Amino acid sequence: MSALEVRDLSKRFPIGGALRRSQVHAVEDVSFALRPGTITALVGESGSGKTTVARLLARLYDPTSGSVLFDGDDVSRVRRRRDVLRYRSQVQIIFQDPFGSLNPVKTIRHHVERPLRIHRIVPPDRVEERAHELLRTVGLVPPEEIATKYPHELSGGQRQRVAIARALAVEPKVVLADEPTSMLDVSIRIGILNLMVRLKEERGIAFLYVTHDLASARYVADDILVMYAGQIVERGPIEEVLAEPLHPYTRLLLAAVPDPAKRDAERIEARKGLASAAVDPPEGCRFVSRCPLAIDVCSRVTPALVEARPGQAARCHVTAPAPST
Amino acid sequence: MSQLDPTVELPLAAPPRRAVRGRVRVPGWLALLLRNRKSRLGLAMVLFMVVVALIAPLISVAHPNDFNLLAARQAPSWHHLFGTTDQGSDIFSQVVLGARRSLLLGVLAGVIATGLAAILGITAAYSGGLVDEGVNVLTNVFLTIPPIPLLVVVSGYLKSRGLMTMAVVLALVLWAFEARILRGQALSLSKRDFILAAKASGESTPRIVFGELMPNMISRIAAAFVLVFYIALLTDAGLEFLGLGDMSKTSWGVTLYWAQTNSTVLQGEWWPFFFPGAALAFTVLGLVLLLAGIDEVSNPRLRTERPARRRWMAALVGGRWVARAEASA
Amino acid sequence: MTALAEEPVVERTAAERTLLELRGLAVDYGSVRAVDGVDLAIGEGEVLGLAGESGCGKTTVANAVLQILRPPARIVGGSVLYRGQDLVGKKPEELRRFRWRNVSMVMQSAMNALNPVMRVGDQFVDAMRAHERIDRRRAAVRAGELLELVGIDRRRVRAYPHELSGGMRQRVIIAMALSLNPDLVIMDEPTTALDVVVQREILQQVEALRRDFGFAVLFITHDLSLLLEFADRIAIMYAGELVETAPAERLATGSRHPYTQRLLQSFPPLSGPLERLTGIPGSPPDLRDPPSGCRFHPRCPHCGPERPELYARQTTERPVLREVERGHRVACHLVEEKGA
Repeated sequence: MSALEVRDLSKRFPIGGALRRSQVHAVEDVSFALRPGTITALVGESGSGKTTVARLLARLYDPTSGSVLFDGDDVSRVRRRRDVLRYRSQVQIIFQDPFGSLNPVKTIRHHVERPLRIHRIVPPDRVEERAHELLRTVGLVPPEEIATKYPHELSGGQRQRVAIARALAVEPKVVLADEPTSMLDVSIRIGILNLMVRLKEERGIAFLYVTHDLASARYVADDILVMYAGQIVERGPIEEVLAEPLHPYTRLLLAAVPDPAKRDAERIEARKGLASAAVDPPEGCRFVSRCPLAIDVCSRVTPALVEARPGQAARCHVTAPAPST
Repeated sequence: MSQLDPTVELPLAAPPRRAVRGRVRVPGWLALLLRNRKSRLGLAMVLFMVVVALIAPLISVAHPNDFNLLAARQAPSWHHLFGTTDQGSDIFSQVVLGARRSLLLGVLAGVIATGLAAILGITAAYSGGLVDEGVNVLTNVFLTIPPIPLLVVVSGYLKSRGLMTMAVVLALVLWAFEARILRGQALSLSKRDFILAAKASGESTPRIVFGELMPNMISRIAAAFVLVFYIALLTDAGLEFLGLGDMSKTSWGVTLYWAQTNSTVLQGEWWPFFFPGAALAFTVLGLVLLLAGIDEVSNPRLRTERPARRRWMAALVGGRWVARAEASA
Repeated sequence: MTALAEEPVVERTAAERTLLELRGLAVDYGSVRAVDGVDLAIGEGEVLGLAGESGCGKTTVANAVLQILRPPARIVGGSVLYRGQDLVGKKPEELRRFRWRNVSMVMQSAMNALNPVMRVGDQFVDAMRAHERIDRRRAAVRAGELLELVGIDRRRVRAYPHELSGGMRQRVIIAMALSLNPDLVIMDEPTTALDVVVQREILQQVEALRRDFGFAVLFITHDLSLLLEFADRIAIMYAGELVETAPAERLATGSRHPYTQRLLQSFPPLSGPLERLTGIPGSPPDLRDPPSGCRFHPRCPHCGPERPELYARQTTERPVLREVERGHRVACHLVEEKGA
């Protein structure tokens, strides 16, 4: 039973000059499901499309093709304000920049109360009380004092907690967290991550945790999706994927992350290649120019996501070949 | 001035500060304006004119249209502070009462034009798509109409050339320019996360335009208002000077018109020209200074640093290095 | 301002010769003390990591070394000794000659500092000619050589910055920093905006260049895990002060300062058992009104009224850097009590 399911989601942006003939395939044929009470990490480098996926799910963009299923209904193309509002009361998003996601000329109270009023979560006379409760839930105490402040009077960690409180106001089933800690100080990140885990456990929320930091993904997530150049290249339970990664890109990522445990790190394969092969991509695997395992078929045929081990799938001709029929 | 460049990304409005001057709590924006030298001066000048306009009936000694041929063409004296016209009307009265018309006109034109520009421009920027296209077509139409010929023609045709009519006409001519600029700023603001967050919360478009975007564009909207104000002022005076205004009303432009038609300067009478002209220039200067102040307040990069000596020293010490460091900061 | 109890121990490096030494460096930002009494030394060819969170003053230290602080920031105390000569108070002309040739810098988001309308090669030539008498043709050739050094095809000399990826632009900046063969390169968050794979490639490149050319590196970052891999020695800053310095291996396993320990625990492990971490409650202090005594005491788990004497010292007396082991200095009252 999934809270949110994504099928063959694709998003293309036209780029280039006036004629706009080129297209960036920002997201291509992405499919996954978010289950209640779990945190799914979406990992990739900048330009991989992970933020676009989050924004597509938050309905900030419209997909080029594919569907987003909520409670079994395809919500990707609904237009009526009532339906959109219903969706927004169930799926919320947290942004990367704690300062940028709050309106600098509005108080914290405004930020937390607005969703309560828009969706009529509680009657108007109870709004202030509920807002204070929400601030308490995310650890901002005393809420009466915090509510009167403006964003610039709070620290980065506090601002991010306000963003979380705002997201929680509508009592969502799904929360999309787009790199919520990458702009925070290291010592503050853990607090936010712990809060996410607590909310998942207490409220059964399904989180999509978008990040480029594998270590924090391991810390909070149950499942992992690895993205490269707009496609999902590996997915599975996080401990298994990190212990025995199938896709060469996942292996590259693991080798590249600084790990204090290994002081004498082996050199990684420094093969030159375009970081993002997503502009008018040709047929074939998009990782082929950087892949140490590439064989002939890799440049000709786009590999499909194949379940090579129970629960773990990868998009690679070599490590997860399609079963020959 | 950054007003003229719609692509300059102005930083967001200064956060509201609970400024306390002495024991008086002053709203943040006012405190900022008062702190800046230019806007302080400009504000003072404009307020002075406003006060003059308000107390005009009390201080004008005679009805401006009274003519007294015996007192005609008199130079400034204690009796007639600004002298008299060729018909013996008191110029001082004409100037202080004329202030009313000018200021009122400026405010009306400013409000209408800025209101139109803000609502249309910001909504277009946020909504995008067809709405944006539609508004763009509209602004383009209004932008390509040459303002002065239009005004001349319209003034010629209008039966009533009353204050309201003039204000509306001027607003229609001036709004498109500002709409373009406000749209530009709203476009970049709309991409900021807090607007996306509001959208994701389910806020409706009008609430986002009025409640989230506009409060962050106050300084730009204020600047637009002041700009329209002084252009309206100058244009109206100009039209009247050309004889296209309502000649029966008291205003600076009309006084100038009569001064011109009666060739007063040729006769060595400088006062019918000088005083209304000076009043106009004074008001416009005040508005321009206010505008510059608003600009500096909203765009910190335009602020001139007080310790000029320190900057000079840093420049000496660093030479090209500092320039590079500054460029990368 | 709490007074120092006694003079701190002057740093000794493991390297043969000390290249750069900061003694009691103090920098003010207007009326706020951003850097307070920092003592550091970098030896020839050594990689010194300077770690800390936002507002700790590490970038200010870097700017102070190169004397490029912009008003209202200014050095108000201490000395910056390059091979024994104090740079503070030197004439602008001497400083100009010293910069880039002896010490160069890769600044934060430097890859965005490239002039977008100039070709990369021309910017190289510009930078070189600003500090050395070299004719354009030779400078252009050298630019090509430098690009090859950092792993970019020398033909990209004719490229515009926007035609290069973020990682490549950063390599260009690093190449520019090396163009006059400096003894010390200061790198301020050189890879923060880049993804993990590119980061590792670039750092490997810098390592290789360091082995070949022998320059020292002052590596400034908030990412302590990076330093644990790449640095020889690490210095931790908090709220404008140095709280601990030690060789990297020692810091990884045997750090003594509570802040360092908690900071290390804020990095979730990629392998091994997964435990609930706590991070550090609260946030770094506002330097306009820092806590009295030890600046970390409001957030320190070892500071509490249960031990009144210690508590009194922690809240009124600033701890001084003391050597607890060869090459390992800590500024902490608790550590002092336990005996160095």
